[in-house]
Amino acid sequence: MRNLIAFFRRFRVFLVFVLLQVFSLSVYFTFLNFPRSQYLTSASKVSGLILTVQNDITKHFNLSLNNDKLQKENIRLRNRLPQSFQRMQNGWAKINDTLFHQQYEYIPASVINSTSTKRNNYFTLNIGAKQGVVRGMGVFSDKGIVGIVHTSSTHFAVVKTVLTVNINIDVMIEPIGLFGLMKWDGRDPRRGSITGISNDLKIKRWSKVVTRGGSGIFPRGLNVGKVEKLNPVEGKPLWDVVIRFSEDYRTIQRVYVIKNLFQEEQNKLELLIPEDKEE
Amino acid sequence: MNIVVKHIIRFIVLVAAQVLVLNQLEIGFGIQFMVYPLLIVLLPFDLGIIYMLLIAFVMGISIDAISNTYGLHTSSLLLVTYLRPATFKLFGPRDGYDVLKEGNMYDMGTRWFISVFGLMLLIHHLWFFTLEIFRFDDMLYVFQKTLFSVPLSFLFCLLFQAMFVTKPNTR
Repeated sequence: MRNLIAFFRRFRVFLVFVLLQVFSLSVYFTFLNFPRSQYLTSASKVSGLILTVQNDITKHFNLSLNNDKLQKENIRLRNRLPQSFQRMQNGWAKINDTLFHQQYEYIPASVINSTSTKRNNYFTLNIGAKQGVVRGMGVFSDKGIVGIVHTSSTHFAVVKTVLTVNINIDVMIEPIGLFGLMKWDGRDPRRGSITGISNDLKIKRWSKVVTRGGSGIFPRGLNVGKVEKLNPVEGKPLWDVVIRFSEDYRTIQRVYVIKNLFQEEQNKLELLIPEDKEE
Repeated sequence: MNIVVKHIIRFIVLVAAQVLVLNQLEIGFGIQFMVYPLLIVLLPFDLGIIYMLLIAFVMGISIDAISNTYGLHTSSLLLVTYLRPATFKLFGPRDGYDVLKEGNMYDMGTRWFISVFGLMLLIHHLWFFTLEIFRFDDMLYVFQKTLFSVPLSFLFCLLFQAMFVTKPNTR
């Protein structure tokens, strides 16, 4: 017993160091692998408050650029309003539309904290569970997709952006409809890559890349970017497709959170798929 | 000024500068500014290492909580703090440190400060980027980030000292 106490006395500095170090590293690696812990994020109350105050000041830096973006989007939407169409045939009765049900709803939000040079970049939004944001919802801006909601507190939400290493969003290359998974290599915030595309297919440069909408997080056809380059993968019959994002994630401010009204139904149905048994 | 108040003010200013200003500067080439290890080198010479570790832990946690890095800053700051006594011993004067002085560049001289704090920053940045990237085939990128970031962080620390550390009266 005395030896034990002597041991603790002798190595107490090292033990304290190891204890604290193990704590911080375990927090870090739990987050990388199982992103579900709720503490130590910018969605917490105090840090959310600090970031809100900061954003109140810094949001004006890109004001004119963002105004331009919003104006462009307004024009696009205004073009779709009934008022901007001329009625060609009069005297038709209006009937309640039963062919279309609304599947996606959008919640506007602004980004109050963002990074773009780290290995894994997270954005903090100024809306949270009170506005109906829950984990797993998609986020996009008027130019392209942004990411998936990672955690949400009462008033804030943290988004795992496209600029994280294992984001894996299912996308397709537009005119030919090829599917692939989009990844990010962790370096250039302007470019990502698509894996799993067979190299016997011809892909034109600058063809559009949009979301596939398979998992119900994003609707089909949201902009992602354009094909910039095709690199052969050594030893495999695959292309590594480099795409250029249509959104500049370094200056982003206004985003929309997607609420899929049929998500639960889709998940329930897909649970019925029998799992592969590897024997 | 009371020495405790002085360090608390430094703590707040350094965390605020790191989180509100330096984290937002993104100038490419993987450069990231990190100035908060400065607090550790400025702590009094006769402070116990366990207290220093606790201070480093609190500081790292508060930076991590705001900048969504989940323990990365804490881990690297703890490592630097743990290695502080060894580093000081390595470059220390022959008859020990004068407890009335402080580890800033005015009290201890520019040469001492560059070697000690440069080494600490190098260890800190290397550990930080290694953990952040955590892949062996990207080690070159880790070195690139470290080599570019350390001098710039160092410059910011010099600037911080010029602003917040009082120069001793030179007779």
